Amino acid sequence: MKFQDAVKKSIKAFMNGNSPQATDEMSEGGIFHTPAYFDELEEQMLSDDGKEEIVNEDV
Amino acid sequence: MKMFDAPIAGANYAADTRNYPWHRPPDLVNYDEGVDYLIQKMNEPQELELVYALLDIDAHISTIVSSLLMQGISRGKFSIDLAILMAGPIARYIGILADEQDIKYNMGVGDEDRVNITPTSLKMALGILDSDGEEETLEVLEEVPVMQEGGLMGAPTGDDDVAASDDEQAAMLGMVEEEVESTDEFS
Repeated sequence: MKFQDAVKKSIKAFMNGNSPQATDEMSEGGIFHTPAYFDELEEQMLSDDGKEEIVNEDV
Repeated sequence: MKMFDAPIAGANYAADTRNYPWHRPPDLVNYDEGVDYLIQKMNEPQELELVYALLDIDAHISTIVSSLLMQGISRGKFSIDLAILMAGPIARYIGILADEQDIKYNMGVGDEDRVNITPTSLKMALGILDSDGEEETLEVLEEVPVMQEGGLMGAPTGDDDVAASDDEQAAMLGMVEEEVESTDEFS
């Protein structure tokens, strides 16, 4: 398997909601950058954009 | 040839292991630290410009991610194994950045490269062809002579009947009496 193929496979797995289990078990308190974290980050970043736009309109 | 693509056995023992950053232990070995490092790096103005520019030219996110990871590996920041693990979060983050800027993107992890199986392609693969035209094409293709394995100057294989027959050889050696035609046109 080539590096590019491995990267694609990894991205696909992450997009399907999987996170590295062995790494999760090894780290104390579990891994931080999970698919759920990025879902929250997306909501936060996109909503922040909306707020900024509203502020700009007021200005 | 694939045989020559592989490294020479034991080459790693003969090479100087201090020559390249990826020969030394990586700087980051923790998954979260690695993802944080890449996210921070992507938030630098120059990197961000590059990512947006690549997204604007319809580059797949998987391509952008692998180039970022290769950069980190070549600088000795993290190992290849950790890079592959970090590919998912980085791709997700780039997707969020693209959404933020209303840039349409393609993850590049779909089955675009897959060959569609159609009835025609299946027939071609099985050698079942309906139309006469296709059969004629196949026949013509079969007639194309195969190049000898040893090249033009290579020794003939057993399949090629290159030896002249006994009569031809005798004629070439002048051992056959030629029939003399009468040249007396006036008789």
